[in-house]
Formats: sequence, structure tokens, C-alpha cells
Amino acid sequence: MSPSSSSSSSSEDFERWGDAAAWSAGTELTPMQTLLWRAERHPVQSSTTTVVIDLDRAPDWDRFVAATEWGTGLVRRLRQHVVEPVVPTAAPTWADDPTFDLGYHLRRERVSSREEMLAAAAQVALRPFDRSRPLWEGVLFEGLPDGAAYVLKIHHALADPLGTVQLLSMLQSGRRAHTARKPVGEEQVAPAAADPVDLAVSGLRTDVSTLPGAVRTTARALGVAAARPQAVLASTLRYGASLRRLLTQAAPPSPELSPRTGKQWSFLTFEAPLDPIRTVARQGGGTLDDAAVALVLGGLRRYHLRRDHLVGEIPVGVRVSLARADDLGNRFAQAIISGPLSIDDPVDRVAAVRGEVLSLHTERALEVLDAAAPLVNRMPSFVGASTLRTAAAPDAFVLTLPGPPRKRFMAGAEVQGMYVLGPLPGAALTACLVTCGDTACIGVNVDASAVADLAALEECLAEEVAAFSG
Amino acid sequence: MSGLSTAVQEAIEAIEAGPQGPSVGAFFDLDGTLVAGYTAATFYGDRLKGRDVSPAEFLRTVVTAVDGELGGDPTRIAHVAFSAMRGESEEAFADLGERLFRSKIAGTIRRESRALVMAHQRAGHTVAVASAATKYQIAPVARDLGVEHLVCTQLVVGDGQFTGATDGPMLWGRHKASGVRAFAREHGVDLAESYAYGNGYEDVAFLSSVGHPTALNPHRDLRAAAARLGWPVLDLSDPVGGSLVAAGRTLAALATMNAGVGAGLAWGAARGNLTEGRNAAVRLATRLPMALAGVSVDVLNEERLWTHRPAIFVANHQSALDIPVLGRLLDRDFTIVAKKEARWDPRAMVGSVVIDPAWIDRSDSESARATLDGVVERIRSGTSLMIFPEGTRSATPVLGPFRKGAFHLAAQAGVPVVPIVLRNTGELMRRNSLVLNPGVVDVCVLEPETDWSTDDMSERIAALHAKFEETLARWPS
Repeated sequence: MSPSSSSSSSSEDFERWGDAAAWSAGTELTPMQTLLWRAERHPVQSSTTTVVIDLDRAPDWDRFVAATEWGTGLVRRLRQHVVEPVVPTAAPTWADDPTFDLGYHLRRERVSSREEMLAAAAQVALRPFDRSRPLWEGVLFEGLPDGAAYVLKIHHALADPLGTVQLLSMLQSGRRAHTARKPVGEEQVAPAAADPVDLAVSGLRTDVSTLPGAVRTTARALGVAAARPQAVLASTLRYGASLRRLLTQAAPPSPELSPRTGKQWSFLTFEAPLDPIRTVARQGGGTLDDAAVALVLGGLRRYHLRRDHLVGEIPVGVRVSLARADDLGNRFAQAIISGPLSIDDPVDRVAAVRGEVLSLHTERALEVLDAAAPLVNRMPSFVGASTLRTAAAPDAFVLTLPGPPRKRFMAGAEVQGMYVLGPLPGAALTACLVTCGDTACIGVNVDASAVADLAALEECLAEEVAAFSG
Repeated sequence: MSGLSTAVQEAIEAIEAGPQGPSVGAFFDLDGTLVAGYTAATFYGDRLKGRDVSPAEFLRTVVTAVDGELGGDPTRIAHVAFSAMRGESEEAFADLGERLFRSKIAGTIRRESRALVMAHQRAGHTVAVASAATKYQIAPVARDLGVEHLVCTQLVVGDGQFTGATDGPMLWGRHKASGVRAFAREHGVDLAESYAYGNGYEDVAFLSSVGHPTALNPHRDLRAAAARLGWPVLDLSDPVGGSLVAAGRTLAALATMNAGVGAGLAWGAARGNLTEGRNAAVRLATRLPMALAGVSVDVLNEERLWTHRPAIFVANHQSALDIPVLGRLLDRDFTIVAKKEARWDPRAMVGSVVIDPAWIDRSDSESARATLDGVVERIRSGTSLMIFPEGTRSATPVLGPFRKGAFHLAAQAGVPVVPIVLRNTGELMRRNSLVLNPGVVDVCVLEPETDWSTDDMSERIAALHAKFEETLARWPS
């Protein structure tokens, strides 16, 4: 590595680390995070994301601990825990955990093969968090034949999968060598140790003070409704019709992907060059997200054929940008499409997926969960849990996440792949495609109880990955 | 003026500037895109009128339709309709399609949609109608637009009768999209370069399968999606339906026309000059009533109406409005040749008193020839003749074949032919309609053609027909 590129990569590092320090500024959980936090019933209704990072060598343990210590100092949220008000009159709040101990969150284990590591990672993921501590856990697996693996388990309230990958990309270094005098987080004035009763009371006080305003707004809305009953009725009916379509019109679940218990997670990983996948996406007129969905569907098609039980379509959970479709906005909605299993040609499958995903944009009720979250959060937590359950679970969730664009290092070990294994909220499998430089890292979490022949599923997915790679 | 909105003109220019040839596809939805409204509703209305529908079937249809609107399966309504057709003869249904096309659906084809179709045809693109409707609804429209390919729902026919089932899925939503993709594979069409036009919320998948989607007069949910997806939206004007006001104005115009004829003739009689009286009557009987009905005329190359008299004026024919419009343009010293049956048409009667048409008995060729000999004499003595060479009114602006009679007369009388292209009279007064809608009639007088002889007549007629078509396709400005 030439000195100039090394210095440019380190100035880039400083910029990223600055961003990381600014990350996680808000102290309250957003309505959506609150809903997921309160409705969590791990692991069946889980909000845990697990990241498996392949490293080219085992990093020096002391240096690795020191780097993690530094990272938690930079990103304050990693040392904070969630404080719930005694009654749900306010959103939960982040507060510094006075008992924070890195030793509780970070440890190392020895394994002899990658399979063993993935099985151990699934067990780590299945164990529930201590909800009174910072919501993350890291395990460095050593003893692998070609290096090491770092497994990071993180709660959705702390970061969603996208945020997790962003955070990791930000914390990693652009060079193998140690960077002295790394920036440290400003000693923020931590929110005064939040007290559950105080939180509830202040939430209630806010509610009371905003009550007259809310009453006025409601009265005005009712007045408008009374003046134009037809228009209001028509628009309500249209919203209801859209909601009904979103909840009922996806394909029926495949019998080959049941019964699901959600309690036996199995982690699979695949890697493929990105360019050929992007080419298939372009030929089908779609994006990388569409191609990822088509790829998973292709694997499931092969599996259904092998089981001699092909169905036409299965319900697939996808993420839809609520901003313009083709740019990566920050507002997303989760929705279920009918994913075609009947199409053999990958390009045609991408085009079909593209059509399904774009069709969601005509549904005015797409944002319903976002809209309902603040209201649901005021109810006892089982209401939230059942709200999430009403959104019928698809057979598979598929997600695409942008990872680091270039080579990255963790405490002197080169990152060779980054796999995200998402939770299984009722689905038989969750697949995440992370772009790492010019490689697609595909992590699949499978509910082993729902799949009769897990080895066959792994083979089928691998065959489809090969088919997409040309 | 071309009569197309700026947005449509820009769309057409983009098509002309883009890639040409059959590897580019142009896919048009039918209901709400090519035609205003729903052709299925027209068919169902006809069934209702014919009392082919039992109360139970009617109730089932309404409930299914409402459920489809409220988030249920919107294609079920069609399956209810298809199963109700079980046992019906395919041939009779195809005939019904033709009949409904002529009487109702032809008038609902949007002019600007037609212009877009023609722009794609000029570019040599592979044009297809892609619709969930059946071919009995689509075929007459497609034929009128000169579109060869249909991508549509197929009904199963056994022994000439419908079985009530569909062959494959109904081409709605995702199935229309996959139908279009399959068509593209079969016909070597490059979808990334292709165009699609649709209006329904279910058309997103269909539109997204091409590189150039356009939401055309979109449903409100498609409009929202198009805004989010950055797709162009085109809002085309719909064919005008007859309003009460327009009907009232038409009545007033008819009354004025009669009064005008009477006044003109009376004036002529008083002055002892019948010809002058007739000319005055024509003027009074055309200008005033058209002004009352709110119809004005925009003429290109007006001077050509006067440079070659006496002459044979030939014009295309779509509407009963053509006759007063031409009467107003020709103004004086002309007559028409008309079929004998039209003699007692109330709309023609007033005119017939004034311009003394040559009535032709089509069933008797001997007497027809004699009448035409008389006509040649009248032309030579200075009276111009106006003829619609298509012979009959077309249901749509599509030009029919030209008959030779007018050109034989020109050869015999040794006078020139002056071609007059009328663009939108059919929109202001639809075929079979008694109501005249206000608007501007676009007229273009082409170069007069002299020295007609039987030797090269067929070629010259074909060339003239092509000129009419070209003028209608690209209105000169």
C-alpha cells in the first residue's frame, strides 16, 4: 500500500468515524422502534439481527477488545439501555447504563469449521437479550481453517439491519495498521438517569398539555367530515379497500414451508460476484433488490421442484421505498408481494418481481403500520404484538443492504465478507443480500422446523446463486 | 393548428426522435386508454337492454363489482360475466361486437390516442393492444386503428359456443405484464426500448415491463404511483358527448337553416333571379345555423376553393355535419350527387330544395348513368359538384376506399378535382347522432388536380387517397 493511499484512506476513516459519533443522537425510541420493542416475543416475534463477518485472520485479542472499547465510546448508544415508563404514556428512552461492562458483551470462542461457527452463531442469536442492558453482543470465533469470524448480535431498537451494516461500515478501518489517536465521542451530557415513574409522569403531563390541541384537531376533522360526508366516506372506503388488498391478496403460503415454530434458526451463507447479478437485474428492468428477490425465489423454485411440489406463487415480504422508487430514500414500508415460482428464466422473474413491487405504489394503505404505530403504542404491549401478527407473515423476507464499498479492516484483520442474518417474524426464511465491494454476501436464516430437507434447500439456493453468476 | 395538446405533440416528437423499427414495441391498454370508458359496460348494457340478464345474475354481478371495488378480487366480475356467456354462439357475439363498435364504441376512441398509435406506426414499431378484455371487444377497435396484434384474454370455444371458461388467466394486472413479456420474446421486441400506455391502478406491472411507460388519463391511484415512480402522465381530451345545451343549439340551428332557406328563396323570387336566390339561401342556411351551434371553420388554402371552378370537389365523410360545412365553404354555384334514399332524410331535405341535388338510384344502373350524363351537362354549364368518394360515412376518422365515379365525371366533363380534407367533423357530430357539439372544424384544401383520363385513373386515385391519409395523419400547420 502506498503512503498516499494510506493517508487518504485514513482521512476517509476519520470522516466516517465522525459520522459514527453523530449517529444515534435521539434519546427517545421512534414510534416504530417502540412498537417492535414492546411487541417483542423472542425468538418467535424477534427483533434481533445477527451479522457474521468473515476475517482473513484472527485479530490480536487485546487490540480487538481495545478497538471495541473505543467503538462503544464513540457510539454512545452501545453503552446505553432502554428505560420504559411504568405505564405506556411516553416512548421508552435511551439512558447511559451505569453498570456497562464490556466483558458482558464481548467474548471469544474456538471452533474448528465454518459450519460449527454458523451453528454457534444461530444459538447466540436465539438467546434473548437482557433487556436491562445495552442491546448488543459480540463473539469472536477463532480456530477457523481460513481465518476468523466476528458475530455481532444487535437489537432492532438499537439499529435496524440497514443501520447495523452502516454502523459496522463506519466503525471499520480502511487500513490494516493501527490508527493512533482515533477520535473519541464527546462526553455528551447523558440524559439524567431516567426513572421509569418520572418518564410516565412527564409523558402524561405532555399528553394533558397537548390535549386541548388534539381535541381541537379532532373536532376540526369531524367538522370537515360532516361538511363533506361523501368525500370522506369514499376516501375511507378506498383506504379500507387498499388495506384489504395488502392483507389478503398475496399468494397463499406454500405447504412446503411449514409448519413454522420460529424456534430453530439455521444460518446459511452464499457469496457471488455482484456484476452478473446487476446485469440480470438490468436485463429484467429491475433493481438489485428485485434481483435479490428473484434469486431467492429461483432457489425456492428449485427446492419445490426437487420436492415435486411446485406452487405458482408464494408470499414474499419486501421493503418498499416510500420515496421515489429508484433512489435509496429513508422511508420504507414492509409489504407482501406474490412472488412467482412458476418462472424459470431469471430475467423474466426479475421483471415479474419488479411489476409486483411497483404495483404496491398504488396502495394508499402502504404506510398503515407507520401510521398506526403511535396509537398502538399507547395500548398494553399485547395489542402491539397482535397488531404485528395481523400483518400475515410471508413465506420469506428478502432485503438488500449496501455494505462498505471497499476493503475494510477490523483490528488488523481484513473483512472478507459480511452476512446479515435477519430475524424470522413468522416467515420460513429471511434472506439479506449485502453488497461488499464487488461481492454479494447473501445470508439466509431458515426456520429449520419449516423445511423438510435443509441440505437440499442449501443446494438449491447455491445452484440459483451460480445461475445468476452466469 | 393540429388539434393535439402540447404534451401529446411532445410525446409524438419524442417517439419520432427515438429508435425506429419493429424491434421497438408500443403496447396500448384498451379501456380508458384507447377508448374513453369501459367497453365491457357497453356490452353489459346491451345485455341488460335485451333482457338477457336474470335478476339473480344482475344481483350477483353488482355484488361482485362492489366487492371488487372494496378490495376484493376485481377479476371475479369478469369471470361471473364469462360464465354467464356459456352456451352462447361465438359468431353471434363477434357480430354483436361489430354492431356495438359501429353504434357506440367507435365514437369513444380518443383522437389523441389515435395520434399516438399512428406515430408509433409511422416509426415502424410493433404496435399491440394489451388488455384484459376479450378479442370481441378489442378486434374492431384494433382494426380501425390498423393495429395487427392483440394481447388479450382468450375465451374457450367448443363447437362454436363459449364454454364459460378462459384459456389461461385473465390478462389483468401481473398476467397482462407477463403476456406482454411473452409477446415481446416471440416477436423479438426489445422491452427496454418499448412503450406502454395504461390508465388503471392494475397497470403498474404492465407499464413497468417497458422502458418508456406512460400513465394515460390515469386512475387516481395510478396517478399517485406515477408521481412516485417518475413516470410521465398524459391527460387526453375525451370525445365530447352531446349535452342538453348542445342539443338545444342544434335545434335552433336546424330551425334557422330552414328559415334561411325560406328567406333566401323568397328574396330570389322577389328579384326574379332563382340562381341568386339559391346562393343566398345556401349562405343563410349554413353560416347562421353553424354560428348558432357554436361551430366555426378553420380553413387552410382557402383560395383553392375558387381558383378552379367549375370543378368536382371531393371530401372525406364522417358526419352529417360535413354537408353544411362544405356548403358554407363552396358558398355558391354547386350541387351534390346523393343516393336516392337520402331524399327524405329530414337533415337533407332543406338542403335538397336549395341545391337541387342529382339523385342517384343505386339499384338501377341504367337510370344512374342517365342521371350522371345530366350531371356532366350541369358541370359544363358552370355548376360545381361535391362528392364524397368514400360513398358512405365512416364510423371513425379512418379513411375508406375511394370509388371511381367522381373521377370519371371529372374526366368526362373535363374539369379539375379539388380535394378537401375534413379533420374532426366526426367528433363534433358523431355518426348516427342528431346533436351537434360546438367546436372548430379543421379543413385543408389540397392542390387541385387537372386533366383526368381513364388511362391512369386508378393510380391517380390511389395517390390522392394516400394524400388524404397523410394529411389526416400529419395535419399541416
